[in-house]
Amino acid sequence: MRASLRGRLRWLMLGVLAAVLLPLGIFSAARSIREIDELMDGRLAQSAHTIQSLRDHAALAAAQPNQHGTLEVPLGTQRHPTEREHAHTYESEVGFQVFGRDGKILLSSTTLAELPPPVSGDTGFKDVQHDGRRWRIFTLPPNADGVVIRSGERYDSRRDILHALWIEHGLPPLICLPLLAVLAGWAVRRGLQPLQELRGQLSARRPGSREPLRLEHPPEELQPVLAALNEQFARMEDALERERRFSADVAHELRTPVAATMVNLENAMAAPLPSEAHAAIGGARQGLVRLARRVEQLLALARLEAVPAARPTTPVDLVALATAVIDELSPMIAEGRVELGVGFAADRIVVQGHEAALLALLRNLLDNALRHVPDGGKVQLSISATDRDAVIEVTDDGEGIPPERRAAVFARFHREAGSRGEGYGLGLSIVQRAAQWHGASVELLDSPFGRGLRVRVAIPLRCDDAVVKAEPERWSIFRAPPDIDA
Amino acid sequence: MHIILVEDDAQLGAALLRALERLGYAVTWLRDGPAALAALRGHAPDLMLLDLGLPGKDGLDVVREARRTHVHTPILVITARDELGDRIDGLDAGADDYLVKPFHVDELAARMRSLSRRVRGHADNRLEAGALCIDLGASQAWLRGDPVELTRREFSLLQKLLEHAGRVVRRESLEAAVYGLDREVSGNALEVLVHGLRRKLGADAIRTVRGFGYMVPREVP
Repeated sequence: MRASLRGRLRWLMLGVLAAVLLPLGIFSAARSIREIDELMDGRLAQSAHTIQSLRDHAALAAAQPNQHGTLEVPLGTQRHPTEREHAHTYESEVGFQVFGRDGKILLSSTTLAELPPPVSGDTGFKDVQHDGRRWRIFTLPPNADGVVIRSGERYDSRRDILHALWIEHGLPPLICLPLLAVLAGWAVRRGLQPLQELRGQLSARRPGSREPLRLEHPPEELQPVLAALNEQFARMEDALERERRFSADVAHELRTPVAATMVNLENAMAAPLPSEAHAAIGGARQGLVRLARRVEQLLALARLEAVPAARPTTPVDLVALATAVIDELSPMIAEGRVELGVGFAADRIVVQGHEAALLALLRNLLDNALRHVPDGGKVQLSISATDRDAVIEVTDDGEGIPPERRAAVFARFHREAGSRGEGYGLGLSIVQRAAQWHGASVELLDSPFGRGLRVRVAIPLRCDDAVVKAEPERWSIFRAPPDIDA
Repeated sequence: MHIILVEDDAQLGAALLRALERLGYAVTWLRDGPAALAALRGHAPDLMLLDLGLPGKDGLDVVREARRTHVHTPILVITARDELGDRIDGLDAGADDYLVKPFHVDELAARMRSLSRRVRGHADNRLEAGALCIDLGASQAWLRGDPVELTRREFSLLQKLLEHAGRVVRRESLEAAVYGLDREVSGNALEVLVHGLRRKLGADAIRTVRGFGYMVPREVP
């Protein structure tokens, strides 16, 4: 089971409440019972005293005893019908007795008529069994005439009161407990709202985002967490910034010596040389060209990986970029090995993006295709737009990649068996990374030429992309390179 | 032709010096920004090859300051930076062309030729690409030394392509060069023209990038 902070808090709260309320309830119930006992005992004693006063001073002395010489008071048994409505339920459960000096009953309620007289000296409170019931009996000490008065009450009535009391004390908490649980749940949820907010923010972040987190009103307890997270993000950003600078520096540091070696080799080849030396230097130059290309690709990839996810986008015209790429690849096109076709569905197809990444994407797509097609092959570059995406497709009629191996070619240094020695991997990794940055999809499809491969990149258009027009001066640089149309 | 080479890397500088001298240029090699700016103002060279990462003063600043003081010497920037932004900055600053390291000497030579031609106009009146050669004054073309008869439009087209030999020229630019900017050009007029040229010059003389443009390779066989 996953530990939930909310569940934990709720159960803890309920536990604490129960731990406090239950003993409190039991204690207060016990106290109430004792109080009631005392109260009723007091009442019992008082009624005995009342009878005594009545007997001593009032007309009781004038009452005529019955044939046995006793006087019975029909208490609670014979009652006038109208009186019954006001009758108390406990009435039949009380009674009294008045004994003469000789121990004979002078006066008695019907309920206690049969109770045997008390042993002498037996005064105060006492529990007795009478008529199959337990009674609480109070006996007054004999007065000056030697008359003893007893009052009694059945325990049933007390039990009824106690029952009622228990129910009154116990039932509300029992009913309230589930309600309390619900309310506690609500309160906990309410209290943990900032955590929920933090979670929402974290899950709404783009993968790789290194933007600092901000909460509207961060509670004190969350501030260290936020600070730690933000510091971590800042450190990541720093590291990436360093990496970016590093790759730019490496580019500079490597390109210059490679350029020097290239010029030196070409100088050597221009000199009269034995054919063997000429061939060897030619080979070295070829190797250097390949090395330079690899370095370029690795740097491009490093740069792409260091692009901050939160970097603001600019409008980028894919047609202009493709034109720049074709110009750049002119030497390869000039070889005439491959027939290149181009199709732009519009004069300008503008997406919101990161220009250097899109340039790397187009360059590597086209460069890969031109390299992988055998002599006399065909490559088609097309850029179009649907309602939702700008679509770049590069199609060739080379050897292609069987569908089951297509997923593997995105691996960095993957090389297809029987390919011309240049791996797809690095180029496609660059394409994939650049696409990823733009939330674009990259698909490897069957080529409509019957053989070969079609790479399809779909870059999602934002709703305003279709109407975005970048400043024309800046973009005209790519529409037609300056030394061509100047 | 006098060229100023500004490169702080000793190895690359020395190699380029040899390569350029082999190609017949008179070369002065400088190693820092202030010297480059002073040379631009003082010696008025025919062309400058300028590295961007220079001690003393960055290459871009050299270009900017030179242009601000109305120095119009063509400047070809040679750089190890290749982000698109850098390229735009270089051209915005007033450089005439931009070459990323490493490069082939042929490529450099071709860019230099194209640059100096643009600046001087077609002073020598001749454009070459390997075995193909045209004379602009006489409107005459030769292939491997043999004269080739071209129509006026074919010649205009070939001239535009030869001015940018080795690079793909967009069909819009070619149409403008052949038919002028205002004329509506029928759909396949350019294709017909290219077809005619190919018949006279050989299929390899003009490469097609279908849907985009044409190019004449630097070395026409």
